[in-house]
Amino acid sequence: MMKPSRLSLDALLFLGPAVVLMLAFFVAPIVVNILVSFSDMSQTVRLDGFPTTAQYNKLGKLDPDAFLGFELRGSFYRALALTATFVFLTLFIFNVSFALILALTTTAIPERMGAVFRAIWLLPRMSPSVVYALLWLWVVDSSERGLLNQVWLLFASEPINLRLDHPMLVIVVANGLIGASLGMIIFTSAIRSIPEHLFHAARADGAGPLSIVRHVVLPALRWPISYITIYQALALLVSFEYIFLIMGPARSTMTMAMLSYTRTLAPQVGGGQYAYGAAIAMILIVIGIVVALAMWRLANMKALLQKPRIEVNG
Amino acid sequence: MARVDLHALTKTWDKATAVAGIDLSIDDGEFVAILGPSGCGKSTTLFLLAGVYLPSSGDILFDGTRVNEVEARHRNVGIVFQSYALYPNMSVLQNILFPTRFQKTPDAERRAREMGELVQITELLDRRPSELSGGQQQRVALARALIKRPNLLLLDEPLSNLDATLRLTMRAEIRRLTRDLGVTTILVTHDQLEATTMADRVVCMNAGRIEQVGTAEDLYMRPETTFVAGFIGSPPINLIPLPTPGVDAQGQTQPQTLGLRPEMLHAGESGLPLQIDHVEVMGRETLYSGTGPNGALRFLEPTAQPRWSMGDRVHLDFAPADSILFDAAGRRLPDATARRTE
Repeated sequence: MMKPSRLSLDALLFLGPAVVLMLAFFVAPIVVNILVSFSDMSQTVRLDGFPTTAQYNKLGKLDPDAFLGFELRGSFYRALALTATFVFLTLFIFNVSFALILALTTTAIPERMGAVFRAIWLLPRMSPSVVYALLWLWVVDSSERGLLNQVWLLFASEPINLRLDHPMLVIVVANGLIGASLGMIIFTSAIRSIPEHLFHAARADGAGPLSIVRHVVLPALRWPISYITIYQALALLVSFEYIFLIMGPARSTMTMAMLSYTRTLAPQVGGGQYAYGAAIAMILIVIGIVVALAMWRLANMKALLQKPRIEVNG
Repeated sequence: MARVDLHALTKTWDKATAVAGIDLSIDDGEFVAILGPSGCGKSTTLFLLAGVYLPSSGDILFDGTRVNEVEARHRNVGIVFQSYALYPNMSVLQNILFPTRFQKTPDAERRAREMGELVQITELLDRRPSELSGGQQQRVALARALIKRPNLLLLDEPLSNLDATLRLTMRAEIRRLTRDLGVTTILVTHDQLEATTMADRVVCMNAGRIEQVGTAEDLYMRPETTFVAGFIGSPPINLIPLPTPGVDAQGQTQPQTLGLRPEMLHAGESGLPLQIDHVEVMGRETLYSGTGPNGALRFLEPTAQPRWSMGDRVHLDFAPADSILFDAAGRRLPDATARRTE
């Protein structure tokens, strides 16, 4: 029987570093964000007017007649809708479905060729964001010099301006093509870990390639797909880097993360409203937590957690 | 059910040859075991038959029809893998039913339940594979392999993950099942007991080649090569090098190696001298090992109580008819028997 003091010391040594890191890098920023969101903090970076709900009033107002008891302001409602569209389309078309197709196809071809294709898909991740954004700016350039227009003009007479006419398409594809590589790596690794005998057995049982994907591969990818869906949904909720670099502060792609960024850290486009940005970020955090918990529950991710393999004598 | 013929079947991987031009014929309904050490090409041969691998050269014929390019799913072959390869996301019943998804099977569920009854897993049909023991998983794999009434049943070391008692039971059950269904069966194993007790004929393979095909008795009593002699039998045969020239004055091939099974040697007053340095009591028998002028030798006595102790010096005698003689290439000389004076 170990002494209680020794047990406490062991627990502290074991969990201490992780707890300190979590407090410093996850909990403390949220606490600071909450405080700032209930103030009037602006370019002076002082906690003026605390506590006040002024920033939240800019996002919406209480309305007893409204469905949920409040009504969202136009710009915030628009940002919320754009965020939902952006996250949903990027997540399901690219980060999950396209990543799955990449993983399935690159594991079905000879190993070396598959590795080359996967490496190509990883290139955008390895290159600086600015370079990737510049390439996209060239691709979707509205003039005849744009890569897309060079191809488009072979079949049509007028160039197209995707950034103006289909802004959501541009940010979904640009974010999706780079985001798919993470899912591709995780799914490839999961497919590789399926015992080879299962594939042999399925083939001998009469299954064709599509049936093997359906009955052998997809069931084995249940957990990786759940994980990628939750992880990428949260990442996309707060993602603004490529949207800003490719689209700038355009209203057509002003998602919540973009709104928060432009109101705080982009001085040339109305930045410095730290408290307002913090209130938007607060809503993002709440949405993130709700989405994560809902997906966790839906995907039954709890079943993934294993009991610790180290026994502690109490 | 099918007759299977292999003609000069070869499989190479880059520079490595896994199967080096083997010829084999298996009769309809026959149970054949392919026996050999790890890496001898036996599993590759099985996967070639299943259609999982494509042959590099040579032919595979089912009932006289070449099936080299026929996909695995169209060969109507049932396989039981060493790992059982059950689909972990499906119940036992769904696992057994799986092959019927791809062929028109009237009343598939009734048949699956019948198969479950046949392999005695009726009460497990709703469970997942992870909830089953090794023996139960093996039965499920067998039911899944048999539900589509395959032309050929392939068993890839199906008993190697089971404990000794269960292995004994399953050996008999598999044999009973295949005999009742009359299905042509090929068992791949490195366990000689499994091969010799279950199969009508045993194919002994080494380094991608067939060393010998025959009954268990053929392989034990009349091994064609020193490899077969050494691989078949536990404890292994004594192979004693002989100081004779390869060819005598008349140009006749002279034996170079004398093979003597441990149970054919008897300790007595005359014969091969030996100093015992190890005694193993093996239940009803005792195994003695030692060294002498002829190198290391083993002999077996049918007594539970050891007659000899470590350090004892004995002479080992044998009947010339019990000896097996091999030439310089390691091939058996069929008509030769040893003279004790040698």
